[in-house]
Amino acid sequence: MKQLTKNSLRDRLNLAFFLFPTMLFVVIFIAFPVIFSGYLSLTEFNYASDPAPKFIGIKGYIDMVRNDIFFHTALYNQMRFAVAYFLIAFAVSLVLAIFVNELQRGVQVFQVIFYMPMIVPMSLVGITFAWILSPDLGIFNHMLRLLGLGHITHDWYGEPSTALNSLVLARTWKMIGFTLIIFLAGLQGISKSLKESARVDGANFFQEIVFIVLPNLKPYMLIGGIWILINSLKVFVLPQVITQGGPGSATLTLYLYSWKLAFERLHMGEASQVAYLTAFIILFFTWILNLIFKPETAQKG
Amino acid sequence: MKMVRRREKILFIFVGVFAILFLFPVVWMFLTSIRTTQDLYKYPPTLIPHALTLENFVYIFTEMGGFIRYVVNSLVVTISTVLIVLVSSAMGGYAFGMRKFRGQNIMFMLVVGVLTIPYIMYLIPIFLMEYEIGLQNTWLGLIFPYVALNLPWGLLIMRGAFSTIPLDIRDAAIIDGCTEIQMWRRILVPINRPALAATTIITFVFAWQEYMFASTLMTKNEWQTLPVGIVWLRDELQTLVMGRVGAMVIVTILPVLILFFIFRDFFIEGLSEGMLKG
Repeated sequence: MKQLTKNSLRDRLNLAFFLFPTMLFVVIFIAFPVIFSGYLSLTEFNYASDPAPKFIGIKGYIDMVRNDIFFHTALYNQMRFAVAYFLIAFAVSLVLAIFVNELQRGVQVFQVIFYMPMIVPMSLVGITFAWILSPDLGIFNHMLRLLGLGHITHDWYGEPSTALNSLVLARTWKMIGFTLIIFLAGLQGISKSLKESARVDGANFFQEIVFIVLPNLKPYMLIGGIWILINSLKVFVLPQVITQGGPGSATLTLYLYSWKLAFERLHMGEASQVAYLTAFIILFFTWILNLIFKPETAQKG
Repeated sequence: MKMVRRREKILFIFVGVFAILFLFPVVWMFLTSIRTTQDLYKYPPTLIPHALTLENFVYIFTEMGGFIRYVVNSLVVTISTVLIVLVSSAMGGYAFGMRKFRGQNIMFMLVVGVLTIPYIMYLIPIFLMEYEIGLQNTWLGLIFPYVALNLPWGLLIMRGAFSTIPLDIRDAAIIDGCTEIQMWRRILVPINRPALAATTIITFVFAWQEYMFASTLMTKNEWQTLPVGIVWLRDELQTLVMGRVGAMVIVTILPVLILFFIFRDFFIEGLSEGMLKG
């Protein structure tokens, strides 16, 4: 249209006006911080004793990966957490979605119930689970005793052997609703006639799931899988609120270690190294998952 | 057919039991909040309360000034964040969705690309920056980072909405003598109400729940928001009984839960939209 002459001053001013707020926030609070923390990760920067970062190149990274025992512990805990959380969250939400999808009634109600924890703040999830799983007054141990299972009661968050898995439990409760919704959306896209024809051919429920449902669900499993994976590596609030990384360092995760380095010891350089390494790990695993689940469009037909 | 019906019954019972287990943590926190202190700290614990009381709720609102302060902080920060994100993303979404300019695609990719960056990478520089310019322990010190973290989501949603509007509408309005800004405000923004609602829900739920930035940037207790302040009280006040913690948790989540049950489709669709794309 003529009215919007492309290069008039007024037109450019308008464009600048519309873009201004986005650019302001993104530049100051996103672009600058990412670049600056990248720079910090290449420095030695003890904020408490010396207010100026000292550039040391990638030496800090090498030291961190080679020699920092706490980094090794955090990495190990993080991987253990990620594997347990990924398997449990993926399996439970997939099985639940398949079951809910088979129901004639109550689908909506169940959807709402399983989604509900998504809107409970993570720190309050922490308080709630710490209370339920507390050793003496906790209702969970009490129920175990009532059921005659007193011998398997634990101080769930206080013992190194159970603390990490108990965090997995709380996080699964909080996060599972979203993947359930993704899988349900995928399941509802699989046509009834496809399943019915399989049934006519004599397939039982189990065969129907394995040969009809799961192959058709692959793209949704990729999306859900990536989401769970990314979340399995960004673990901060629960260990901070429930265990503070303890007992010992049994629940020290990468995020938590980065935070402790930065805000308890004020070693900003090292903290940025951990943050960047965590980001690389997340990107790496996302890439792997993409390779595994790549939808095979060419294979059909 | 009979087999199928029996199978459904079994599945229903299985899913139902799971749903009850799922509701239990919230129900248990609620039961905790309406029990007396003696009832709560009796060994062994009991599932069913002996005496019900609202004393915990009265206490947190009358005897604990800190709690009301957290409520105010959370409300101010959340509402401001939502409003700024709505306006900014509606403006940016229009520019990216309906205008053409040089570098548009690269700029958009960069802005949306930040969605994949882990939040911990922003935290240290933002902490240092806010420390230097004195934004720590102010409402704005939380609102600004929250806006920045949610704006890419909002922009993604709003660009999608704006790009579906036919350009004829814009051109017709401009022929009628509207300026571009008037046309945006009076015609285009109202059309995009559903996308604005989705943006509102994503941003609201984020700001109401956020812990990492709030606990790091708000170093003084009186500036903390509900998710941080309640944890702080639980850790610092030795005399704080669990019934009161339970009451604070319920007060924090109940309004959102009620909204969630009323607008459940809106919530689920809106939140999912925000978490899927990118």
